[in-house]
Amino acid sequence: MDFKTDRREFLGKGLAAAGAVLTGAHSGLLGAPAALAAKYPDIAIARGSEIDAMTRAAVDAIGGMKRFVKPGAKVVIKPNMSFARGVGSGSNTNPEVVASVAQMCSEAGASQILVLDNVLHSPEDCLSMSKIPEMCGPVPKTSVSNVRSKRMFREVKVPKGVEFKSMEVISQVLDSDVLIAVPVGKSHGSAGVSLSMKGMMGLIYDRGSFHRRYNLHEAIVDMVTILKPDLVVTDGTRILSEGGPGGPGKVIPLNLVIASDDMVAADAQMVELGTWYGKKFKADQVRHIRIAAERGLGRADISALSVKDFSI
Amino acid sequence: MKHLDRYTRTVTLALFLVLLLLATYPMYGEPAVDLFLRLDPLVAIGTSLVSGTLLLAVIPGFIVLVSALIMGRAFCGHVCPMGTTIDLFGKAVPPATKQTAKTNAYESCKDYRHWKYLFLTALTGAAVAGVSLIYWGSPLSLVTRIYGLVLYPLGTLVTENALQIAAPRFFDLGLHQLAFLEIPVKVFATNALVVLIAGGVILASRLQPRFWCRNLCPSGALLGLCSRRPLLRRVVSDDCTRCGQCVKECPTGAIRKDPHTYVPAECIVCNRCVEICPESAVRFHAGRPLPAAEGREIDLGRRGVLAAGVVGLFSAGIVKTDLKQPSAVGSKHPLRAEDLIRPPGALPEPDFLNRCIRCGECMKACPTNTLQPVWLKAGLDGLFSPVLVPRHGACAVNCNVCGRVCPTGAIRSLDLREKNQAKIGTAWIVRQNCLVWEQDKKCLVCDEVCPYNAVAFRPISERKNPVPFVLENRCIGCGWCENKCPVGGASAIRVNIIGEIRLADGSYREKAAEFGLKLKAENHTSDRLGQGTFESTRPSITEEPPKRPEPSEEGKLPGGFIVK
Repeated sequence: MDFKTDRREFLGKGLAAAGAVLTGAHSGLLGAPAALAAKYPDIAIARGSEIDAMTRAAVDAIGGMKRFVKPGAKVVIKPNMSFARGVGSGSNTNPEVVASVAQMCSEAGASQILVLDNVLHSPEDCLSMSKIPEMCGPVPKTSVSNVRSKRMFREVKVPKGVEFKSMEVISQVLDSDVLIAVPVGKSHGSAGVSLSMKGMMGLIYDRGSFHRRYNLHEAIVDMVTILKPDLVVTDGTRILSEGGPGGPGKVIPLNLVIASDDMVAADAQMVELGTWYGKKFKADQVRHIRIAAERGLGRADISALSVKDFSI
Repeated sequence: MKHLDRYTRTVTLALFLVLLLLATYPMYGEPAVDLFLRLDPLVAIGTSLVSGTLLLAVIPGFIVLVSALIMGRAFCGHVCPMGTTIDLFGKAVPPATKQTAKTNAYESCKDYRHWKYLFLTALTGAAVAGVSLIYWGSPLSLVTRIYGLVLYPLGTLVTENALQIAAPRFFDLGLHQLAFLEIPVKVFATNALVVLIAGGVILASRLQPRFWCRNLCPSGALLGLCSRRPLLRRVVSDDCTRCGQCVKECPTGAIRKDPHTYVPAECIVCNRCVEICPESAVRFHAGRPLPAAEGREIDLGRRGVLAAGVVGLFSAGIVKTDLKQPSAVGSKHPLRAEDLIRPPGALPEPDFLNRCIRCGECMKACPTNTLQPVWLKAGLDGLFSPVLVPRHGACAVNCNVCGRVCPTGAIRSLDLREKNQAKIGTAWIVRQNCLVWEQDKKCLVCDEVCPYNAVAFRPISERKNPVPFVLENRCIGCGWCENKCPVGGASAIRVNIIGEIRLADGSYREKAAEFGLKLKAENHTSDRLGQGTFESTRPSITEEPPKRPEPSEEGKLPGGFIVK
C-alpha cells in the first residue's frame, strides 16, 4: 500500500458518499468521486458452481479489477493458507478463487502479484496441501510465499491504535500499491469468525500478543486501521462452520463468492450468510466487526447497503 | 595417475559432507548418514569393549581394521575426512621449518610417534574399566563435530545474512521465492571448545605435516598395529638414485633415510612417492618381502605401555567416582540434574554414556536445535553428550531423526509410533513464575501449544482465571510448553526427568501402556514440521474432514460473539 498518496482516503470518502446516496441522502450536490463510486453496489454476491466465473462476476459487479489495480501496480493478495489441510476442509481459501483473483490482477496490468501469508503449520505442507501455489503457478507475475523471518517485516506506526501504537508488517505489503484480501468464510475459536479483517494477522510478525497481551477484538481493529484491504473477495464456496480456524470441523457448502471494497461490509455479509456453531448471527454480534464499524472503518449494517445478489 | 589421493580424498570428504547434510529433518529413507562414523576402528573396538558386546552397527569399523592387514593405513590416506581436513586447513599453516629429506626421514621425526599408541592404550584401559573416553581421540567423532557443530552453524549464519543483503535484489529480479527464503541459524553449546581442540590439531601441523595422523590419532594407531606387515607393500626398484624426493614429500614421514625402506605402520598409502619419483622406481606391490630394517618399529617400552594403561584406568576411576556418575556403586538414586533430558529412545543412562561417542550427529540433525552438547551438567562421564534444551527448542512430534542418525545406537532408532510413546520427562508448573498463578492473568499458551493435550485449566476459588495443571500421564516431556511460555527468562512451565522411560530394548508403546500413560499426539503442528513425510500416529489428513460432535451448546461459543 502506498501511504504517500491519499488514494485510500479518496476511496473512503467516495464510499461514505456512496453510502449517503444509497441511504437516501442524495442531494445532487455530490462531487465526482461519489458519482464514480455510486456506480457500483457496496457488496456483490455471485452464486453458482463455476468458481472462476463466480469470482470474476463478483469482482466485475463492483467495477472489475481495473478499478482497483492500475497498470504497473504492485499487488499483495492475502489468502488463508495457514493449515496443512486439503481444499475440502475449509481451513484455507479455495485455491481456484485465489488463482482467479491473481489472474484478474494480471489482466489488469499488475507488475507484481505476491500471494503472502505467515502460516501456522509446516510451510511446505501448507503450500502443497492448500494447492494455492499449484493453481497460481500459471498466472503471470505471480508468486506464492510463506513469510516468517523477522527480517521480512518492518515496524509501522498505528496512530489510531487503542491496544497498541505500532506493529511489524511484511515489508512487501507496506511497499505494495494494492492489498486484496481473499479469505475463506470460517469460524474461529476466539474471534467467532475469521474473515478479511482477522485474516490480516497473517501479515504481521507478532500475532501471539494479540491473543496474550491485548484484547483480541480491539487489536484486530487496530491492525486493520493500517492493513485495510482495497478489495475483499470472500470465498463462500464452502465455509468452516465450526472447528475453525484450523479444523477439522463442520463444512457447509454455500456456493457463493462475495466481493466488496469495504472490508467491514464484506465480513458482515459473510457472517449473515453463514451458519456458525449451529446458529445464525447478525453482523454486529461479532465483536471485532461491531468495533470496526463503530470506529468508522466500514459499514456493518448490511440492510442499509446496496447488495447485488445474483446467480450465474 | 598424478595426485591419486587428492581425487580419492576429495570424493570421500564430499561424501562425508553430503551425508552430514542429509542428517536432517526430513530424512527420506535410511541414507546411512552415519557411515563414516561407523568406519572408525576406534569407535568399533572402543564401544564394543566398553559395552561388553559386539555391536552390529560398528562392523564397518572392524572391516576397516581388517583391511589394514591387506592395504595398511590406506583408510587414513584416502578415506578419513579428518586427514583431509587437516591438509585443507594445514595449507594455511605450513610447517614452521621447511621440510627436507633430512628432517622428514622417519629417523629424524619419530620422537612423538609412540604417543598415539600410548593414547590408544590409555583409552583402551578406560574402556576395559567401563568408561568410554574414545570421543577424546576418535578422529571421526571430532571431525563430525567440527563440521556439524561449528562450521554448519556458521554456514547457516553466513547464508542467512547473505540472503538478507541480497533480498532486495531478488525482488528486483522477480525471484520472490529466494527473496522470502529463510535459513534458520543453528546454535550450539561447547562450540568454542570444539574449535580449540580442532585448532590444536590443525595448528600442530606447524610442527610436522599431519602431526595428528603421525603422532596422536588412536584410530591411526589401531590401523598401524594391523599394518606392520601389510600385503600391499612399497617396493623400490634399483632405478632409485636416492635423490630423497620421496623422503621429503611423504606426508607422514614414513620413509627412512634409505629410501628403499619405510615403516608400513606409518605409511598411509597415499601413492605420492610413486607419483613423484623422477625415476619411476617406486610402486606398491603385493606380497614382496620386507627388507629386514622395515620390520623394526618404535619400541614403546613395557614401562610406557603400563603407564598409559594405568592412566586410562585411573581416568576411568576418577569418572566412576565422580559425584554425578550414573552407575555409581551403592547409589540408589544417582544424582542427576532434574533437567538433564535425554533424546527419546536414549538407552538407560549408564549404557547411553558408554555407547555415545559425542559425534554430535543427532544435534546436527535435530530440526528444532533443541539437542545440545552438555558441558558438566551430566558429570564427568557425560561431557558433550546430547541433552534437550526445551527453552531453546522443543522435541518435534513428527521427527525421529536423532535415533536414526546415531551411529552406535546410544539413541535407539524408533519408528514414529514408538517414538511418540517414549516419554522423556514431565512438565511441571513453576507457579511463582506463571502469569496465571502469580498475577491472575489470562494466559493459555502452554495448553494451546501442547501437542499431547497434557495441560488442563481448572477454576480455583483463589483466582479469577482458571489456572494450569499438568496431566502427568498425558505428558511426554516434549517441551513445547516450556519453549512457548511467554514469560521472560526461564519458563514458568519446565520439563524435568520425572517419569522418563529408558529402555535398552523392548517396546515403548507397551511400557507406556503398562505405566498407564495416555500419550496421544493431537493433529497439531506447533512444531511447523511437515506431516505425512513418515508414518504418523496422527489421523491422516483427508480431503473431507472427519466428523465432529454436533454444534456446541450455547455458552460454549467463542468469546468473539455477543449473545444477547
